[in-house]
Amino acid sequence: MVSKTVQVINPMGMHMRPAQLFIKTITPFACDVTILANGQEINAKSIMNLMAACIKQGTEIEIQCNGADEEAALKAAVELVESGLGE
Amino acid sequence: MILHGIGASAGIGIGHAVCLREQNLDYTGVVFSGKEEEKKRLQTAVDTFCFRTQAMADDLQQRIGEKESEILTGQIMMLNDPFMISQMQEAIDGGSVAEAAVDHVCTLYADMFAGMEDELMRQRSADVQDIRTRMLGILLGEEAVDLSTLPAGSVLIAHDLTPSMTVGLKREKIAAILTETGGKTSHSAILARALEVPAVLSIPDVLSAIADGAVVIADGSAGEIIVDPDFCTINAYEEKRKAFLEERAQLSLYRDRKTADADGNPYALYANIGTPAEAEAAQAAGAEGIGLFRTEFLFMDRSTMPSEEEQTAAYLEVSEQMAGKEVIIRTLDIGGDKAVPYLQMGAEDNPFLGYRAIRYCLDHSEIFQIQLRALLRAGAKYRNIKIMLPLITSVEEVRAAKALLAACKKQLADEGIAFDDGMQVGVMIETPAAVMIADWLAREVDFFSIGTNDLTQYVMAVDRGNARVEKLYTAFHPAVLRSIRSVIQAAKRAGIPVGMCGEAAADPGLIPLLLSFGLDEFSVSASSVLQTRKLIAGWHAADAAAVTEKAMNLSTAEETERYLQAVHQKEEQH
Repeated sequence: MVSKTVQVINPMGMHMRPAQLFIKTITPFACDVTILANGQEINAKSIMNLMAACIKQGTEIEIQCNGADEEAALKAAVELVESGLGE
Repeated sequence: MILHGIGASAGIGIGHAVCLREQNLDYTGVVFSGKEEEKKRLQTAVDTFCFRTQAMADDLQQRIGEKESEILTGQIMMLNDPFMISQMQEAIDGGSVAEAAVDHVCTLYADMFAGMEDELMRQRSADVQDIRTRMLGILLGEEAVDLSTLPAGSVLIAHDLTPSMTVGLKREKIAAILTETGGKTSHSAILARALEVPAVLSIPDVLSAIADGAVVIADGSAGEIIVDPDFCTINAYEEKRKAFLEERAQLSLYRDRKTADADGNPYALYANIGTPAEAEAAQAAGAEGIGLFRTEFLFMDRSTMPSEEEQTAAYLEVSEQMAGKEVIIRTLDIGGDKAVPYLQMGAEDNPFLGYRAIRYCLDHSEIFQIQLRALLRAGAKYRNIKIMLPLITSVEEVRAAKALLAACKKQLADEGIAFDDGMQVGVMIETPAAVMIADWLAREVDFFSIGTNDLTQYVMAVDRGNARVEKLYTAFHPAVLRSIRSVIQAAKRAGIPVGMCGEAAADPGLIPLLLSFGLDEFSVSASSVLQTRKLIAGWHAADAAAVTEKAMNLSTAEETERYLQAVHQKEEQH
């Protein structure tokens, strides 16, 4: 398993549009993707869980990837969050 | 029968009622046909839902825009969520029919979103409800009314218009839209205005009050509905409808014209906005810039201060929308009638004369500097943002604000963050004190904007919210008109531009005066832009000067208003 902690920088946090983009980006990877934030463990391939976690701007999140293509998945996910989730 | 609601899209619609009642989604009669079969039914319904929703999203994106269609693509993603689907399958494993599984799981998620603190997340509850209703409709074979086959002259009546319902709407068939919920900024309202269909929203129990097929007149300007009108009423409204459409067609001729009087002297015509989203409407209405962007929306209806990043994003959004055109942004104008709980400003006996706007901001430089930094940063890209300070009464206030701005520039430069170094600073002239020292203020700033709403209130010493004295509140009073004239003269002498961003700027009676006083820029609501451009185009400078001379020699507000309105009516008849 690989993991990295990043900060959510886009102003509105993980609302509908950024969550859509996040899911679209990581769905092609076969590995499991989990986000640890606000004391919760979130299945990052579920848009419902992702939105329900209410991740706001400034929140530190830990992205964990576990599976065959974990390195590539983590890289893509971290880059996306650091670039402001398309906002 | 007459019903009232919120007029959300102007115009008159006359036609026959088409009531969109809730479908019958009762599934208690559905018999369980085995786990495998129910799961297959569920999967088929999910596929149908996704196929149809994608088609709707494509259609909507083509006809209206990307943002509208994202609501629908989001719904596809939500339904395809591995958790949601597996919870539905688990319910089926537990003996539920597919309908019950959908109902149960969707309601669970809708309740969860509805209970969340974040407003954006609460809106997702409506999406899950929409998914539930349409999935049950597909499973039960209870399809919604097909809005693409409505007969011409339909007055559409619904509890609410959901994104999926509005997709097939053909505007030439719809006479008007009536709903039981929603306000001026709801999805239904935005859609109705985009389609230029009259709409009256938030009419209590309208679905049960009006029978299918009844004749209905909807007045989207007044927010009024007349059900089963008599023949004379129909004729009268038919005339009104024609007049409205004629005027709209006539005004649309002015959309792409430059603003100038009848002699070709140019003027700037801007729009007032309160949220970034309104910039698009202002642009569409033909505004040549933003003359007043109120920033209070960023601070209200929330529990914490907006961050520098959030503010920068909002200002940049407007700057980008208006790229190449000026955007005048007013710094925080809270206090008075606009309270913000988390700023803990405390109740005051006299809020309009109290601790508000620039007075509060200069005392709380930590809050003010965040806004100034955000403005400076947002201006870096398009260099079209100007800062406007509200409620100025003294030169010291302007100097203090400019000192803070200079400090912010230095911080940003030290931090290596891009910003607009040449950003202009102006003041709002809205107090008698500012009027009296306009010549001195003009030496300190790059522009003036006259805020006639507050100026009238302070010059006349009248609370416009108090019904017993409100008749004293009029911009036609010679004291107000003289104030406006003297501010414009002071700006001219100092060589700085002067605008007006109060309701007076769009008042047909006052336009000849403002033209001949030498006002440079008129800033009005987006819906008044074309009307104002047309009015300005109707005046020759010499005629306006003659009217102004006469008006300024009348000693009472009543005479002045009567005279100027008579002049306007005569102009109209030309």
